[in-house]
Amino acid sequence: MIRQPVQLRTRIVISALSILAMFVAYEAIAMRQSRINPKQTVVPGITSIWDGIQKMTTPNSRGETWLVEDVKATYGRLLLGLGLGIGLSIVIGVAMGAYPWVEAFFVPAVSFFAKIPPTAMLAVYFVLFGTKTEMFVAMVGLSVFFTLAQSIYQVAKKDVTDHSVFKAYSLGATSLEVIYEVLWKQILPRVIESIRLQIGPAMVFLIAAEYVVGDVGIGYRIRIQSRILNMNVVYIYLVMLGGSGLLMDWSLTQLRRKLCPWFGE
Amino acid sequence: MRNQILCLSLAGLAVAAGCSKSTPTNNGGSGPVASGSTPTFSLAWSEYPSWSVFGVAHEKGIIDGAEGKRGPIEEKWGVDIVLKEADYDTCLTYYGSSETDAVCITNMDTLAPSLSRASVAILPTSTSVGADACIAAGIDNLDGLKGKPTYGLEMSVSQYCFERNLELQGKTIADYPFKNMDPGAAAQAMQTNQAEIESIMVWNPFVLQTLRTRDGAKVIFDSSTIPEEIIDMVVIGKDALAKEGGEAFAGAVVEAFYEINKMMADSATGDETLIAIGQKFSSLELADMKEVVKQTRFYGTPDEALALLTSEKFQNETMPQVSSFCESHGIVASKPTVGFNKDDAQFNFTTKFVEAAKAK
Repeated sequence: MIRQPVQLRTRIVISALSILAMFVAYEAIAMRQSRINPKQTVVPGITSIWDGIQKMTTPNSRGETWLVEDVKATYGRLLLGLGLGIGLSIVIGVAMGAYPWVEAFFVPAVSFFAKIPPTAMLAVYFVLFGTKTEMFVAMVGLSVFFTLAQSIYQVAKKDVTDHSVFKAYSLGATSLEVIYEVLWKQILPRVIESIRLQIGPAMVFLIAAEYVVGDVGIGYRIRIQSRILNMNVVYIYLVMLGGSGLLMDWSLTQLRRKLCPWFGE
Repeated sequence: MRNQILCLSLAGLAVAAGCSKSTPTNNGGSGPVASGSTPTFSLAWSEYPSWSVFGVAHEKGIIDGAEGKRGPIEEKWGVDIVLKEADYDTCLTYYGSSETDAVCITNMDTLAPSLSRASVAILPTSTSVGADACIAAGIDNLDGLKGKPTYGLEMSVSQYCFERNLELQGKTIADYPFKNMDPGAAAQAMQTNQAEIESIMVWNPFVLQTLRTRDGAKVIFDSSTIPEEIIDMVVIGKDALAKEGGEAFAGAVVEAFYEINKMMADSATGDETLIAIGQKFSSLELADMKEVVKQTRFYGTPDEALALLTSEKFQNETMPQVSSFCESHGIVASKPTVGFNKDDAQFNFTTKFVEAAKAK
């Protein structure tokens, strides 16, 4: 029978096995590569990963530690970009959902740019924002903004019935009160969900941009280190990216549960 | 939806990292029948004047880069050469992970992979005599550059050329910060007059392109001060060379290279061949390509190649210098052993195949 429930303990054991399987599979690939060439560093064995960890956590001659510098740079850019992008898209998205004339003004640009990968127009970002932090922040912010504004205005328009809007008006609410009390509160869980889905692409764009123009950051480190085949460093950064993605995902789900318990799972 | 975005952005990444192209397909020319027993060897190459020669050799039909198809040179040597065209960085990864038998690579970039895969340089193809340049706008000379960042690819020939020039002029390297940026992106930033990008260190076609596009852009110094230090070459894994047919493959690659060089030297076919080489290389025109091959001086004959490989300076000064640079910049954890006609060296320059080509 499908959907047969399993006990929590069984579930944990199965998940643990899955993680173990990933390690075993990795080590198997590493061993296969090492049979081809015992000195290869492209898929390093788990033991030589340790060397990589030391390399990135030991301060260099200038007193800089790769891990610290890169994490500060990349996550700083990401969070700043996300913050600006999310803030702006909430304001514009809700306004678009509430006022058809705002919608008419923004729809062409928003739906057009939402489909263009920002990394493909790097040169335009140079011209507009330079090549420093502003450019990375703008890239993350705008990539999030266009897609998120679009999904926010659509839920604001479709998920909130005319019925509830007019009911609030006839109970004497002002327009601002309707927007905050009726519209915003109803769409909040969907907004959080959309934000959660936008973090992945934002990270991809950021890493790609750092790959090309960064002089510090995770994307920069991955490029330079893979060029000289220090893959033990590269893989740790990839694990870190995966881990931080999971963490952000989980936090937003928790936030949604706390803010909107009525929404359910 | 989300997958679509990821796909697009991955495509964007590929575009941003430099347009990579897949292996060239059949040229429709001569099509010898595939034979099951012919050993197959791969050569990874990226667009660069003296490496595009192999792409042109395929287009002209003297070799066939598709798997299972052979051109006249491959027939003669009894091997099947498979050409893999990719972005330069990708070629390095191919080679390091043994995904290709041979690769077009510089002398400096061979040091790191040779630590894990013993390497044999079979053919020097060209040397940079001005093809790597430090270009500045609004700065007139080295003194004006002091304290201002120069943008270029870290841990590459760009940084090497930059520091060597400072050294030659007696400057302190610490006074001239070098910041990482992809050369294509740095050139783009310079060409769009970005205020914070006053100086870049890039290679061709970006050098010519930037000088042409940006008014007031000026070469502060270039690789013509360090001739025969940055060498473009063909390197083959020692493991691949030892395989059956490995030496025939090396011989075929060397012959194909010299065949195209003969066409370039011939006044009847020279211009046409040069245009073919330049076509994908940033679509430069004939006049520009003539400039390019001056700045990227080809080792067009076995004699020129032998002169480099047997030169005392190259063996005893240049290569040790390049090794030290790589070690002090963390490109290699320890220096690999470099040898000339020494089979047990981790990185061995051999004259065997060039000499064989000369003897013919």
